[in-house]
Amino acid sequence: MNLRLNPQTIKKLRRFRQIKRGYFSFLVLALFLVLCLFGELLVNDRAIAVKYEGEMYFPTYGAFHPGTDFGLNYQYEVNYRDLKVLFEQQGGDNWVMMPPVPYSPFENDSASGVFRPEAPNFDARHFLGTDSTSRDILARLFYGTRTALIFSLGFMICVYIIGVAIGCAMGFFGGWFDILCQRLIEIWSNIPFLYMVIIVFSVIPAAYSIPIRIAILLIVMVLFSWTSMTYYMRTETYKEKVRDYVAASRVMGASNSRIIFRHILPNVLATLVTFMPFTIVSAVTAITALDFLGFGLPPPTPSLGELLKQGTANLRTAPWIVTSAFTTLVILLTIVTFIGEAIREAFDPKKYTVYR
Amino acid sequence: MNQLVSRLIALLVMALLVACGDSTETDSATTAGGSERDISSEVEAYYAEHADFFRFKTPADIPADLVWEDGSELPDIGSPDARKGGTFYGAISDFPRTLRTVGPDSNGAFRNYILDDVAVQLAHRHPEEYSYYPGIATAWAVDEGNHTVYIKMDPDARWSDGVPVTADDMLFLYFFNQSSYIVAPWYNNFYSVNYDNITKYDDHTISITTAGPRPDLLSYALEHTPAPRHFYKELGDDFVERYQWRFVPTTGAYVVHDEDVDKGRSITLTRNDDWWAKDKKFWRNRYNMDRIRLSVIRDTPKIFESFKRGDLDTFGLNLAEYWYEKLPDTDPDVQNGYIYKTVFYNQWPRPTYGLWINTDRPLLNDLNIRIGINYATNWDLVIERFFRGDYERLNTANDGYGRYTNPNIKARPFDIDKAQEYFAKAGFTRRGPDGVLVNDQGQRLAFTITTGYESLQDVLTILKEEALKAGLEFRIEVLDQTASFKKVQEKQHDIGFTAFGSFLEEYPRFWEYLHSDNAYDQAFLPDGSVNPDRKLKAQTNNLLSVADPEIDRLIEQYDTSTNADEKMELAHRLEQLHFENASFVPGFKQPFYRVGYWRWVRWPEGFSYKYTDSATGLYIHWIDEEIREETLAARRAGRSFPPHIEVYDQYRAQ
Repeated sequence: MNLRLNPQTIKKLRRFRQIKRGYFSFLVLALFLVLCLFGELLVNDRAIAVKYEGEMYFPTYGAFHPGTDFGLNYQYEVNYRDLKVLFEQQGGDNWVMMPPVPYSPFENDSASGVFRPEAPNFDARHFLGTDSTSRDILARLFYGTRTALIFSLGFMICVYIIGVAIGCAMGFFGGWFDILCQRLIEIWSNIPFLYMVIIVFSVIPAAYSIPIRIAILLIVMVLFSWTSMTYYMRTETYKEKVRDYVAASRVMGASNSRIIFRHILPNVLATLVTFMPFTIVSAVTAITALDFLGFGLPPPTPSLGELLKQGTANLRTAPWIVTSAFTTLVILLTIVTFIGEAIREAFDPKKYTVYR
Repeated sequence: MNQLVSRLIALLVMALLVACGDSTETDSATTAGGSERDISSEVEAYYAEHADFFRFKTPADIPADLVWEDGSELPDIGSPDARKGGTFYGAISDFPRTLRTVGPDSNGAFRNYILDDVAVQLAHRHPEEYSYYPGIATAWAVDEGNHTVYIKMDPDARWSDGVPVTADDMLFLYFFNQSSYIVAPWYNNFYSVNYDNITKYDDHTISITTAGPRPDLLSYALEHTPAPRHFYKELGDDFVERYQWRFVPTTGAYVVHDEDVDKGRSITLTRNDDWWAKDKKFWRNRYNMDRIRLSVIRDTPKIFESFKRGDLDTFGLNLAEYWYEKLPDTDPDVQNGYIYKTVFYNQWPRPTYGLWINTDRPLLNDLNIRIGINYATNWDLVIERFFRGDYERLNTANDGYGRYTNPNIKARPFDIDKAQEYFAKAGFTRRGPDGVLVNDQGQRLAFTITTGYESLQDVLTILKEEALKAGLEFRIEVLDQTASFKKVQEKQHDIGFTAFGSFLEEYPRFWEYLHSDNAYDQAFLPDGSVNPDRKLKAQTNNLLSVADPEIDRLIEQYDTSTNADEKMELAHRLEQLHFENASFVPGFKQPFYRVGYWRWVRWPEGFSYKYTDSATGLYIHWIDEEIREETLAARRAGRSFPPHIEVYDQYRAQ
């Protein structure tokens, strides 16, 4: 598929940059996505770098280092925070550089010796406090949000590929194919999606790893969500199909695929693009809701929904849990919505309309 | 012609009669009784067919040399200061699926309110002295040689609808529980296999004979609530639907009126003013509230918020989270003396919280791996950090059975070196890139823990983190209660985190969870070797899939043993064998119960009794409505009372 940017599109993009609110939201989100890619360097219980006996170690990625690697007497993974303290006490050449948030989203780390929610504590670097089993909230929030974002991007891409392909085909070929597909879609879209997710998820063996489970959840959600896209694509394709330029290219002997991909698709792009951010919003909401209800990812996977659930259960005694999760969710959804509105406005052919 | 007319008239009359009959039937079916169906003749026929089981004799047949007991020397239960009256406000997390007390869905938490804690049985264990005090029975006599108990029933006993309770209701109990109509195979089995016969001598005298001698003969004979024969007259294949929402007449103090069932929202119990036992010695100071209103509140945090508002009278504070964080001693309502907090140390067979390892699974069938898992599971940390040292480590699957619990068995402690040593013996010597042990075939040392306890999933996440240190990975699967129970009952689990509930029994049971009968269909061939084609048996409590001929032999010996010392000895050996089998990782036990309650809920001095498992189960508490008014007024006006945080440790085990 070769979608060359035409002057129209370039104009639209320029327009998007002029809408400051949406543009900056986009930059913030992009920055966050980049941070997410290197998340293990920012939020992790593994050190970024360790210098031990003249040798450098970079434990962030790759295999774990047992305690024996650094002269400790245990075979399980080194506790780098303790190691750092130890090296500082020894005062030698050895040193440890920890990430800004030196906790993994799974470990129970309690200052008081009791596993319970503890308020934000900058000295211990629990910047947002800990949850009900003394796990760092910032770490859980960060990885939970990352999962939700990657998930919803994947969701969006899959939904669009299926939705656009089928929608275009329906609009372009029309006739019996169109009618048949429409009826099938109507039936399909009447299956309640949330229940299906719950049912499917309850039969997946727990032995599957977390990424596989996320992938299955993604597939199930995509299977039940692609239908709405087809309606828009179908009408748009219908509209474009009867335009003169399509007729002209057909007269010139263009094949169906060439007409669809080279002529029709670039012209319906505007419709597609405006829906994208809202698809992401709905995907983030859906996965959060599932986790909140306890049907999402298995514990102890960090997630926004799980944090919200803990937060509402400890509303009075640990308000920092719900505050963190809620604020993150609001900011995330608001940013994406701002971007969506800006895109819609930028792609709106009528420049001066209600959207301003 | 005349003949024809008279025939027509006759037909018309008959039609009218039928119509009338119809209307009365539908009326009565929705109220009580019901004349549409009457299985009395079927019951009689059943008795006749099973004449060996249902025997009819005369009072002259009762042996003369019996020693009759009546438990009357035991102390009263409850306080004479108890006030009658008032309404108790409670919460249930789910609306009962049925008002039946047997059959599908009947075994929910609500049944306690209409059967287990409320209905009067023939006799009950005294919560302090352990021996029996009378309920419907006025006296009983044991004939050890013939494993028979003779029982005299109280002629005063009445069903809540006024019908007298008679020996026929006891016979009917056996018919009822043996019949397939009730769709309750466990009961069918229990009431057939364990008994030899029930004999009626007159309307208020019976005897019950068990299938063989047993040391706890009395509990098998006396712990029954009769079944109301007149009420179950319409018993049939449609039992489940027909009786779904009909309140069963009870021998106990509380009844449910139709108008008090607000489906999905609340259900209210009302004290029966004409309750036959209201002035009887062991019953007069109990069941004090006029009404018990139970609202459906689905979420524990919400139940707690309701309690804190004063909408509910009591709240269980067993979880450390509630006792220390959500209702700490410093809470204004506690400090101002509006809400009382109480810890009561009790004696009770402890629920078996722990990891039940399915030994049929690959890798888990290796003893070294099971022992390694035992050493790699850090319950001590959970108890110390999560339960804040309030709970204790469970040592066996039979803790709390007094001398039947082997005192020499101590659960294996968390020990990374030992765990690694045993894993190494099983071939797991190398650590993979994620720190999990791997064997030469590339298998990871990872198992799934299945649980239905959503509120305890935090415990599992702590165990998971700790086990990783020993190179063991736990994957956690949290299902809802029913699904999880089904999964472990069908032996689909690697490891189940669950507990078997406990009820007050003299000695533990082993057959249920250790005997090979409950692990496989035909575990062994006749020559004693392992049956190569054996299949796992579903729907049994042998979650461990343990099949060991030595254990089987001891259990069979244990179950038939009538000598208490021998039984104890066998119990100790079985517990030792089970320990060596390492298929159960004992978790924690809670040696007390804790409760928070508003000032107007009153308990007797000393709070409760030795053998109790909840604060409200005996119904010795009462509501003082005057204090309720006073407290609420004081709370509004900002006046306070002395705080009341009590620990009752008179029954604490040393």
